[in-house]
Amino acid sequence: MPAPHAVSSPDAAPDDGAGGLPGEVMIWILIISELAVFSAGLLALLAGRLTDPAGFAEAQSHLHRVGAAVNTVVLVTSGYLAAVAAHKAGHRPTVARRLLMLAAGLGAVFLAVKASEYIDLFTQGIGTETHPFFTFFYLLTGFHAAHVLAGMVLLMVVAIRLAPRPVGVAAAFWHMVDLVWVLLVPVVYLL
Amino acid sequence: MKYQTQKIALAYFAVAMALFAVQVTMGLVLGYIYIQPNFLSEILPFNVGRMLHTNSLVVWLLLGFFGAAYYLVPEESEREIHSPKLAYLQLAIFVLGTAGVVVTYLFNLFDGNFALGNEGREFLEQPKWVKVGIVVAALIFLYNITMTVLAGKKTAITNILLLGLWALALLFLFAFYNPSNLALDKMYWWYVVHLWVEGTWELVMASILAFLMLKLTGVDREVVEKWLYVIAALALFSGILGTGHHYYWIGTPGYWQWIGSIFSSLEIVPFFAMMSFAFVMVWKGRRDHPNKAALLWSLGCATLAFFGAGVWGFLHTLHGVNYYSHGTQITAAHGHLAFYGAYVCLNLAIITYAMPALRGRDPFNQVLNMASFWLMSAGVVFMTFTLTFAGTVQTHLQRVNGEAYMDVQDQLWIFYAMRFGSGVAVVLGAVLFIYSVSFPRREIIEAGVKVPAE
Amino acid sequence: MTLHRTWAALVALSFLTAALTTANPTRAALVMGVLALAGLKYRLILRHYLELWQSPAWARGFDLVLALLLASFAGLLLAG
Repeated sequence: MPAPHAVSSPDAAPDDGAGGLPGEVMIWILIISELAVFSAGLLALLAGRLTDPAGFAEAQSHLHRVGAAVNTVVLVTSGYLAAVAAHKAGHRPTVARRLLMLAAGLGAVFLAVKASEYIDLFTQGIGTETHPFFTFFYLLTGFHAAHVLAGMVLLMVVAIRLAPRPVGVAAAFWHMVDLVWVLLVPVVYLL
Repeated sequence: MKYQTQKIALAYFAVAMALFAVQVTMGLVLGYIYIQPNFLSEILPFNVGRMLHTNSLVVWLLLGFFGAAYYLVPEESEREIHSPKLAYLQLAIFVLGTAGVVVTYLFNLFDGNFALGNEGREFLEQPKWVKVGIVVAALIFLYNITMTVLAGKKTAITNILLLGLWALALLFLFAFYNPSNLALDKMYWWYVVHLWVEGTWELVMASILAFLMLKLTGVDREVVEKWLYVIAALALFSGILGTGHHYYWIGTPGYWQWIGSIFSSLEIVPFFAMMSFAFVMVWKGRRDHPNKAALLWSLGCATLAFFGAGVWGFLHTLHGVNYYSHGTQITAAHGHLAFYGAYVCLNLAIITYAMPALRGRDPFNQVLNMASFWLMSAGVVFMTFTLTFAGTVQTHLQRVNGEAYMDVQDQLWIFYAMRFGSGVAVVLGAVLFIYSVSFPRREIIEAGVKVPAE
Repeated sequence: MTLHRTWAALVALSFLTAALTTANPTRAALVMGVLALAGLKYRLILRHYLELWQSPAWARGFDLVLALLLASFAGLLLAG
């Protein structure tokens, strides 16, 4: 991305000694921990794939790739709304509140798309023990979907009693959900 | 000692140390049975001795935590304990329950009885009436401590301590649920065993360590609190789903192998953070606290916990490794160093710190106390090495080559003999520790430049 | 204003990914291309949604770990 932001968010937390990480240190610890967990899971999937590339490819062909692409756009759009809301939380509370609700609503769209895929797989009789690929698939996407749900709850909670700091934390959690999805899609769905 | 009710801790520490003596003595007996298997086989079967070894360990560590809480909560919340009477009643219930357990185990009384007989589940063998007693005592404790904290100042240290202790007590309720399906039984069993030592106890450990660092190094409370929250968050993040590393081979679905492997690998992180925390605080600290022995135990705790719980735990936590090493002496090596480093050293650190104040005199005999640290720690570390080598050999002979269990045990004799030697060092160290905090009245080395007390 | 552009870039990269996967490239080109696009999205989210541009040292650290991770993905994908 070329042009950087001209100014920092007016509500950005002051530097707290953790090398200038923007926002709360605790949320960054969570982000790094979650990324470590999902990365390890994705690496394990790919390592498992080496033992049976054909079987993994066959299993992967049952997934909804288009749904995954739609969900990527849904999530990055929702992330955008949350990021704008975090900027406006200080001076435009009503706008920020609406944006947060909209972001959470897109989270529901994501879950609906996800659910349609799960239902389709279940009706084909595909469960966690059907093939090692599906063990990873359900584990990784299920865990991610649980975070989407948690993020939606978080966004709605901070929208009710609006204040810049909590909104920043919830938005950061929501961006983490994006980050994980961006890593997950290529490995689980596309390659 | 600023508050009269801190004195309650003395009674708890005394009982804890008595049980500590029982625990290590029983450990020595068991170590001898490994090299001389018929020793005491008629009057003290191995399984009974092992129950006493592990149960007395858990009970004395808990009593130490309770004592630590009674000592540090008044200082943190700047209030006397809500009710000293209840605190002593709680201790009496624990002592009665412990005595009941010992008698029940030794003579196998009321075998099969619903309320009075032992329940036959590793670590949770206690008869039901004792379990009920534990719950009642825990409720008394939580009521007492929570009332004190609510009435006084709330600090990060008491917050995390209370969180850990409440969760500890609530999780114990799973001890009452004993489904007849063995896989389910084991699954819930770990809710108590794992979520204690790799969850709630870590919170208790982090908060007590934070208290010690605050007092011993004089670093600002704000800095200590930031570390404490980070450590607590890391412990819960990795520890809760880390339970999965016990679900590999008990009949739970296959995905637990990955949940367990990934999350439990991260369990090393909070222990690394605790070690970094302790050393950074000492390095940053300006205070030259006279109780050097307490500092030694604190640093030893953080370091040995990192190696015992963190590194030795990671050694066999990945399910591909655990498939071979499960239930060998590798587990015993990890168990010994982890419990010693994380929880034994922690208790001995707070006891060393609190005893001079509790007994109203100068920091007693620090030289003997520090000698006991080195003797005991060297003993446990050597024991860990011998068991690790024994476990490696055992894994290869038994799990890879497929030799019979007892044939392999015969070949491990030399390791067990060396382990017994290290056990002797541990027992001597424990005796020295108990002596050093209980009896000497004067320091044997002269105080240097006078440092004003805090 | 750059949040708009970040969003537009993310959507554009998503469409590029979709185009690439339907264009039947060679296996190696597909793997490298899709992972590179994912890496770009990851950096955009981290820098602009999470505002990591404010601390260049951390941003570089994240980039390094991301590069290692994507390289491991690529290695494992192309090995089998």
